[in-house]
Formats: sequence, structure tokens, C-alpha cells
Amino acid sequence: MNVVNTASLHRLGRMFRFFLCAILLAGTAHAGPIAKSLVRIECTSQEPNYNAPWNPGQVSGGLGSGFIISGNRILTNAHVVSNARFLTVAKEGDPKPRPARVVFIAHDCDLALLTVDDPGFFKGTIALEFGGIPAIESTVSVYGYPIGGKRLSVTQGIVSRVDFQPYSHSGMDSHLVIQIDAAINPGNSGGPVLQDGKVVGVAFQGYSGDIAQSVGYMIPTPVIRRFLTDVEDGKYDRYVDLSLSYEPLFNPAARRALGLKDDDLGVLVGSVYGGGSSEGIVQAGDVLMAIDGLPISSDATIQMGEDSVPLAEVVERKFKGDEVRLDIVRGGQPLQVKVPLRAPWPFNLQSNTYDEDPRFVIFGGLIFQPVDQNFMSAHHPDDLRLRYTFDFFIEDKLYKERPEIIVLSGVLADPVNAYAGDFQYAIVEEINGQKIRRLTDVAEAFQKSADYYVITLAGTGRPIVLERKAVEAARERILSRYGVTREQNL
Amino acid sequence: MSASIPSTPAGRNSCLRRLFQTAIAGIVCLMSNEPVLAGVAAPPKTDKATVAASQSVLRVNSTNQPYDFFRPWTKKAPFSRRGLGTLIAGGRILVTAELVANSTFIELEKAATAAKSAATVERVDYECNLAVLRPADPAFLADMKPMELDSGVRVGDRATILQLEHNGEIAQTVGTVTSIVVGGYPMDNLGLLLFRLSAPMQQRDGSFTLPAVRNGRLLGLLMRYDARSQTADIISAPVIEHFLKEVNKAAYGGFARVGLIFTMTRDPQLRRYIGLKEPGGVYLSEVLPGSSAQKAGLKKGDVILAVGGKTIDQDGNYEDEAFGRISFSHLTNTMSFPGDTVPFRIFREGNILEIPVKLESRDPSKVVSESYVVDRAPRFVVLGGIVFMELSRPYLQEWGGDWTKKAPQRLVFYDAFQNELPQDRGKIVFISQILPSPDTIGYEDLDNLVVSKVNNRPIRNLDDLAEAIRHPVDGFQKIELEEDPGILFLDAAAIEKNQDHLIKKYALPALQRL
Repeated sequence: MNVVNTASLHRLGRMFRFFLCAILLAGTAHAGPIAKSLVRIECTSQEPNYNAPWNPGQVSGGLGSGFIISGNRILTNAHVVSNARFLTVAKEGDPKPRPARVVFIAHDCDLALLTVDDPGFFKGTIALEFGGIPAIESTVSVYGYPIGGKRLSVTQGIVSRVDFQPYSHSGMDSHLVIQIDAAINPGNSGGPVLQDGKVVGVAFQGYSGDIAQSVGYMIPTPVIRRFLTDVEDGKYDRYVDLSLSYEPLFNPAARRALGLKDDDLGVLVGSVYGGGSSEGIVQAGDVLMAIDGLPISSDATIQMGEDSVPLAEVVERKFKGDEVRLDIVRGGQPLQVKVPLRAPWPFNLQSNTYDEDPRFVIFGGLIFQPVDQNFMSAHHPDDLRLRYTFDFFIEDKLYKERPEIIVLSGVLADPVNAYAGDFQYAIVEEINGQKIRRLTDVAEAFQKSADYYVITLAGTGRPIVLERKAVEAARERILSRYGVTREQNL
Repeated sequence: MSASIPSTPAGRNSCLRRLFQTAIAGIVCLMSNEPVLAGVAAPPKTDKATVAASQSVLRVNSTNQPYDFFRPWTKKAPFSRRGLGTLIAGGRILVTAELVANSTFIELEKAATAAKSAATVERVDYECNLAVLRPADPAFLADMKPMELDSGVRVGDRATILQLEHNGEIAQTVGTVTSIVVGGYPMDNLGLLLFRLSAPMQQRDGSFTLPAVRNGRLLGLLMRYDARSQTADIISAPVIEHFLKEVNKAAYGGFARVGLIFTMTRDPQLRRYIGLKEPGGVYLSEVLPGSSAQKAGLKKGDVILAVGGKTIDQDGNYEDEAFGRISFSHLTNTMSFPGDTVPFRIFREGNILEIPVKLESRDPSKVVSESYVVDRAPRFVVLGGIVFMELSRPYLQEWGGDWTKKAPQRLVFYDAFQNELPQDRGKIVFISQILPSPDTIGYEDLDNLVVSKVNNRPIRNLDDLAEAIRHPVDGFQKIELEEDPGILFLDAAAIEKNQDHLIKKYALPALQRL
């Protein structure tokens, strides 16, 4: 489930993930049976360069934890192995690191499956099994390699609460998480949390000490099981989503005006996002009364077994193509609808993304890039119009007009573009009269032969004009002067 | 008119904290009223010019009390600003508008004798940052001599900035005029003529407004000073002359605005593409809706070749006989008056046209989000604890120096792009906050939400809203919003029943002020 929630996004800024540049510490502890399941993961990754998008980016190393599950697979966090160029895993007590590879990676729920091709690796290991949601106040143990140690570390704590929380890896997704008070530190990421010998979670994120004390988060088994089921068909399809926003319905006058009983049931639909699952089925102003037959409380929770959980939990457990049944009240009349579920594409723009090369087009020394969260994190543009278009892309349904936001992201200064320097971060509207809705439109427009290339930008008033002859004359000069190895990546 | 100089805040609140904020922005105003240790005083000179100056300047102490836009029914704590006023012809004291913005009490004080008189604002114009004051007792000025204006300054000339020591002596700082430009004035970023002086000034108490003089005549008023670059921006004599001419008219017309934004045409590729063979000219990149330029028929994409018979170069400057190359905005904003007609020579699609533009000053009531709200109370309506306001920049500025990033972003964007809204959009009416009450249960966390309709009536200003809430629908106050949660309902009868309680609990002076 994707949640548009700026309040929680704000909080995310202060969250950290347990991923650490290796610090080596020596130790001689004796390890228990868990030693046959735990692995230490070293990852060499390469961060894409959104400022010079033709460059391959900076290489860095990191360290995390993982554990062996059935089918010779290793489960860990997506953020431990994101943008990986080279991976090794080492078993507890076995000094030899073995090359490993990512089989499936799910950035929306921060989980990944690895395997090791060396057939001897899994010999003598024990595949861990999964348990359920541990009870509040029950004790759990966290295993892993915090702050870079070579030997496994165990910490213990109790389950503090079960809640929906944002997953900071993507920055846009919220799923069920379990908060525990065991010490969890960088390097614990991807390590198992055990109760009665079964995995009840994967340690993955927390707060730094100056924000909160003894607060660590693990990914609970419903999320893990969903991931493992999703990839059974050989590919990961991502979470599905209703793609609508809803509001609690506490106000007695609002309840009466909407024709509802005073029974604390129902939430008000605020927006239905175009291109999402509910478009054309649910309307703004509808009241959601039940989901798959489970009554929805006015605080947007449902009762699932013993637990009160957010209504999204029903959708959380479903897969692409599944349906969800909604009981709604529209204009005072009860109505039942079925919503076939799919992944919500416009949200991707505001998620952190990984394992992707930045896309761009360079023409006449002008760099054009599509704007996404990675771009915004790299550039931090102050341009108000760009900030508006990015921040309100979903809320104001701007994706209908432009599925991608294309900006002039930079200028490789050259006589050909000597007067185009003032327009950095301006959104490209048209090139030679052709509407620019995607990066491919930019490449296409520049491929067409014309004497002048007229680039119309939002809010700048005057267009940028490039003469074809001047662009051609400048091309090799710009490429060699700036070390540009390729002119586009679409 | 386009102003190419970034707006530089000039001490909205005169306190040291604000001074530090503006220091980061690059330009610092001297204008602290906090007790400040004066630097070592320059030895007082007793030349003729100083004697003349001392007969024309006096202290102006203004107690100011702005409204609190977070609680629009209240004023903030009062504070005082002190500056030097200059006596000009007609028994008027000339000061900057900022000195007396939101004033509750103004006092004139003679430097030598400390004799005091109350004063009132005869006319204030925040666009040009000027005000004229009159003493309650006209005889108060009897022993003083009015100062004349000096419009003849050139780049390279020397000028003197006057300050007052604690002992009443005049301190002089001599500086050089380094440039004469059209630049943004602080309150509204209107582009008007500025004299820029390089002068090593000391920070002294009571320096919010300072006269700059030459040979006993007034060049202008200092309105901001950057301590790092030692640069003083002076409200120029031509702008003061324009202001005073308007003050003397029966109906004050202020400063005209053409209402266009232009860009340079230096780019030879652009010039060839639009077929511009004439030298110079600027590209009209935006014509503001409802402006003089739009009414005259100027269009985006036009190239302005000449204004009022003066040829415009590719940067938008003309050769002024007095001041050299300066922006043509000086011709339209300062040298012309509202109601004047100025011919524009335009290049449009290969043709050259002469278009007369009748200049008008801006009608503030047509502005979507006003850039300043001074000397008057912000409007509001409270309905069952929901506070409605009209968007204005002072509301956003309550978030502090970094308001474009910290204030509610949708409102920031509405303010920034207000010229792009449909012409009949009216004001942006929004819920600024909820005063929790039994009627607003479930709505407590809502704030800064833009209202589209109330009781099925479109809302284009608070008057619409005040009228709409008199007509509940089926016993409900129905409030439709542009964003989530989309719609709110309140019980109309319950609100009426509870309103006395609400007024008492939150100490509201009234449920609305329009």
C-alpha cells in the first residue's frame, strides 16, 4: 500500500537504515545453532550519478546480514544489496566469502532473495522457518552483524507494537512493521529476528539515538510471505494498491449529512487517483463501509482476527489481478463494487528507485532528464514550479498531462548554448511544437530535421532556440570537452 | 515591469534576529532599534553643510504594531523603529514607508533639544517605500529649514549619509555613488530607480531611515545597507519627486505598472529565429492579465524596440540623459504617471507597430495574493471554530525567512503563480486553522486547505463566504475543499448554539472581520 503522507515522509528524513561501511572488529564468541543459518553479506555497489548521468557513478562498499531459507535461498533486505555490482556472503564461522547474486529484489517492501552458485555452500546449513506475528510483550532475539563485526551478535528485546509504518528504503511505501526494543544497529539489516526457533521478522530500520531510544523495526512475516509468494511465478510484481485516499469520519454532523448511522463505521473517500485500481469504480465522496466483508471503523481500521489493523491490510495481502470487494455508500445509497487490483504507476515517481541507470538526452550541450525522487535528491532544485509539479504530481493528477516531468537539468557550456544557462530546472513543454510528455519525445523531436530547434519551457517566457548547423558543429567538441561517453539513455 | 534584482528583505521587523537573517541573504539593514553600542563616533564637523543639515533633519520614533496573521483577530506586541526624517517643502517630514508601517504612534524629536511632537502620516506608499508625516503642532517646525531635492547626481559623485549620535550631533559618512539602477523596492519588488552608494557606515541606534545629502540638498533616503559590501541603496530623488507630485494631487495615483515581463535578446540564435534585424529590443515573455500592457494589446513574443521615443537595447536599457544606461522601466514607472500614455514601438512577426500604452497603477483589490497588508487588519471569518482567511504573502511570511520552503506548499505555489490563474479566480479562500470545538470533532488536524464552495456557492473571496454561510443546506454547513478530505459538514444549528461559548473560550473579539 502506498501512502501519500507528507507528515511521515518528513519523519523519514531522520530514519536511517542499517547499512554500514565495513568496520572490522575481532571476536571469539561461541555461536549456537543459528550459526548454521546466518550469513554476513558484503556488497560492492555503485550509486548512479544524476548530476553527470552518462557517468557510471561512485563505487562503495557495505555490510549487512542475511539468513538461509528453504530452496538454497538467502533472505535479506533490498537496501543491503541495492545497486550491487559484486556480492559475497560468508557463513558464520566459515572464513571464506563466496560470490552471490540477487535472484529477486522488492524495493517496495525492502526484501531481497540471494543465492550462491557454489553448490557446496549450502551444505550443512539449516534453512530457517517462519512463524507468525509475535505477541506484544513477548521476547524476541535479533541476530546479525551490527556495526561491522565478523562474528554474529545477538540482542534481545520485547515486541513493543505492531503498526503500519513507512518503509524508508523506497520512501513512499508503508506496510506492517513490528517495533521491538532490542538493540538494532547498522549492520543488523537483513538479519533474522527469532522467537521459539522460528523467524518472526527481518531487522531493517530504526531511529538514530538522538530521535528515539530502544526503537527498532522488523519486517513481519505477512510481508515476507507475500514477497515469497509473489516471486513464485518467477518475477516480482510489486504491491497492489487501491490508489485512493480516505479520511476518518468522526464528525457527527458529517455522518448525518452523508446519511450514516451513529455506529462509528465508514471512511470518506477524498481522492481517487487516475490510472489506479479504483479509477472509474470508486468516486470521491463515497463512503467505504466494508472491505471484503470486514466492517471498516470510522478511524479506517478493520478487525482481523484478534487485531485491529488498517483497512489497507486486506489489500496488502493480495496480488496483481486479485479483486477486492468494497461496500460503499454513495449519495445515501448502499452499493457493492469489485476493484481489480494493480500497481499504482504514478507513485513510482516519488519513490527512491534502485538498480536503474539515470535516463537523459544531451542535445547542443543541453541535458534533459526526467524528474523522479532520485533526481530531486541529487539536485535539490529550488525552482518553485518544478517543486510544485513534483510534489503535487499525484495529488493534482498532473501525470495525466505529462506521464514524465522532463526538465532542462543542466548545460554543458559551449558557444552554441551560451544564452541557455538561465533556464536550469525549467520544465520542457514543447520542442518544435511537439508536446513533450516523456523523455522519448525529446529524443524523437531532436531526430527530426529542422533549421531551428525551438524549445519551449514552462514559465520562462522565451524559448531556447538552437540552430541545427550550430548544434552539429558543436557536437564533437562538447562530447570530447566534457568527457561525455554517451548522448542518451532512454 | 520586470525587476532583475532579487528582492532583498529590508527589516520587516526591526530586531537583531531579523538583522541576522537578512545578513545571510546578503543585504543587511542598519535599522535595529534594539540598544546597540554605537561605534566610535566620528568627531562632529561644524562645516556649513552640517549646520544646514541639522536644521532640516529630526528624529522620528514610530511605535508599530502589525497584525498576527496566525491569529488574525489580534495584533502582535508593539515595537518601535527610529530613524531620521527630513523636512521638505510644505511642512512635511519625509521618511521611508517601512519606518511607519503599522504605526500606532509617531513622535518627532529634535536632535539638539529633545523637544517632541506627535505626528501623523499624511500619505504613505509602500510600493515606493515613502511616507510624508505632519506634526500635530505645525509650529513645532518653525525653527527648521526645509531641504530641497537634488536629482542631478551622477555615478562617481560623492554624497553624505547623515546619522545622529546619542548626544544629538550629526555624524556624516561620505560615500561614492557607484551605480544608478532600476532595482526592486522592498515591499512589493516594484522596479524603481535606486542610487547605490559605497560607504563604510557604522551601526547606530535609530538608523532605520537616513537621508543622503549633497551640498545641503537631499539625494534620497537610505532604505537598506549591506554591511559586508558596504553598499547602501538609496531611494532616489526622481522617485521622491514622483511621489510628492502625486501627494499634491487631489487623488493620489501612485506609481503606474505596465504589467509585463521581458527577457534580453542577446542570443543571436533567438534573434535570427524571430527574424529580428533591428538592433536591440527585448522579448516580451509575459503580459500580466488585466495590466496596462494587456489592455493596450501587447502580446507575449513581441519585441519592444522603443518606449516613449527612447531606443531600447537588447538588455532593456535606454540612454538616460541624466543617469546613463538604465532600464526603460524608469520611463514608465517613475517618469510617467498613471493616466499618461506612453508609445511602445513593437516588432511583431516581421512588422513594426506603434502601440500607445495607457498607464495604470495596480488595483490592489484585483490582486489574488497581496504582497503586503499593512495598516489594515487581515480579514477572517470563524465558523464553528473553523478559521477562514484570504491568502496573502504576509500570511506565508509568518513562517519566517525560509517561508517559501516552510509555509504550506500549495499556498506558496498559489502565491507564486497567481498570475497564471483564471482571471475570475478571485482571492484564495482557505481554512487557516481549526479552533477545536464540539462542532469540529474529527477536523482538529486540518489546516491550510483551499476552499472551493460553501453550501454549493462558489467562493471567490471572504464576502462570498460570509454570505454563503447564511444559507445552510438541509441544516448543514457544507464546505467543499480543493484537496483532501474534499468535504466537511457542520451542524448549522449547533454552531449557532455554541458560538457564544466559542467566542468566550478563545477570546475572539468577533466571529468575522471583513
